[in-house]
Amino acid sequence: MNTLSIRAFIPPLRRRCAPPSLHAIRRYAVQAPGAPTMEIFSQQHKWMQKERAAADVETSRNVDYLRDEVASRLCERLLDINRHFPRVLDLGANACNLARMLTLPSPETPDAGPRSSRIGKLIAADSSETLLYRDADLPFNKEIDIQREVLPASETLSYEANSFDAVLSSMSMHWINDLPSILAQVNNALKPDCPFIGVMMGGDSLFELRTSLQLAELDRRGGVSTHTSPLADVRDIGGLLQRAGFNLLTVDVDDIVVDFPDSFALMKDLQAMGESNAVIAREKGGIHKDVLLAAEGIYRELHGNEDGTLPATFRLIYMIGWKQGPNQAKPLERGTGMFSIKDYLEKDGKDGGDK
Amino acid sequence: MSSRTRPIDKFATAAAKCSKEASLYGKCIVADYNNVYKDKCSVEFLRLKDCFLAASKRRT
Repeated sequence: MNTLSIRAFIPPLRRRCAPPSLHAIRRYAVQAPGAPTMEIFSQQHKWMQKERAAADVETSRNVDYLRDEVASRLCERLLDINRHFPRVLDLGANACNLARMLTLPSPETPDAGPRSSRIGKLIAADSSETLLYRDADLPFNKEIDIQREVLPASETLSYEANSFDAVLSSMSMHWINDLPSILAQVNNALKPDCPFIGVMMGGDSLFELRTSLQLAELDRRGGVSTHTSPLADVRDIGGLLQRAGFNLLTVDVDDIVVDFPDSFALMKDLQAMGESNAVIAREKGGIHKDVLLAAEGIYRELHGNEDGTLPATFRLIYMIGWKQGPNQAKPLERGTGMFSIKDYLEKDGKDGGDK
Repeated sequence: MSSRTRPIDKFATAAAKCSKEASLYGKCIVADYNNVYKDKCSVEFLRLKDCFLAASKRRT
């Protein structure tokens, strides 16, 4: 009986008052008892950074290049699934970049019309209201059935179980403290046999900036403090998805390298994206000027391109997981194989490789 | 918003004028970056900082 191990879920303090009906819905705890979550990122600080960044609309739109590109690649992955999705959730929507990318045609088939034809209603949810509504007046909003929702707490979803045909998440899960919990909540909100498709920064993202700042701080101050977030690695993702109850996992990695004129331009862009450092244990009050100056020299020497630009690597981890469904393909029982793969491969080799 | 120059922009302009010193400092650190300790390249850094301070004064 697995119902015995589940305890009632107590909603945390909410920044915004949710309608009373939401409190009446009973949900289940997703965190295993006895395993308190580490709080690494300050959600409040992250929210403030996003609000501030989005308040400067012009600058904020200028740095959408990365999110747009990633959102577009995510849309392609959604289109690979030959299905119609009547109700889709975009979790951590930022400035609704996914919605805008969905209204454009696919770069591979430009004549096929907008990608959003496969989608019924898109619900875009983010904790930062200013960022979420930044592009609410742009024309693309009329081309897609979009509903914006401000999340009262970015790590607690108040969606009913079995209510979405797909959940997407683009470039926001790297700020979640409790990834197993949020993935389990996503799994709960999905209908059976429906996909979760997400992309997050991970692995060696921004390793150039990380290493130069570390070397600069070591030389200037004799110690290292946290300036870039700890990130999930590719090999963690499979375990995370599996733990949350997803099946038929697909995880892949994409490196996007952006060249910047100097390290200050990179840091300015990150700030304008609302992606500044939000680690709780960070050193308050910004980076020392000496360290900044030293890091610029080291960055250029250690990683700089020949043409004088500085590369910044963004490693994006795409993940697809399916909620368990009754008619889903399942792996066969161990030992039920009727055919030796060895014979097949050897036969293949003799025929000269044709299948 | 863009009418005023942000401090980081001033900083970047001044730092860009000291590319020679910055390169020398960078070479000093990168030469053996597995063994960096405090003030390993302080001579090079002070040269870089002098240049930077002079460059940022000239601007204002």
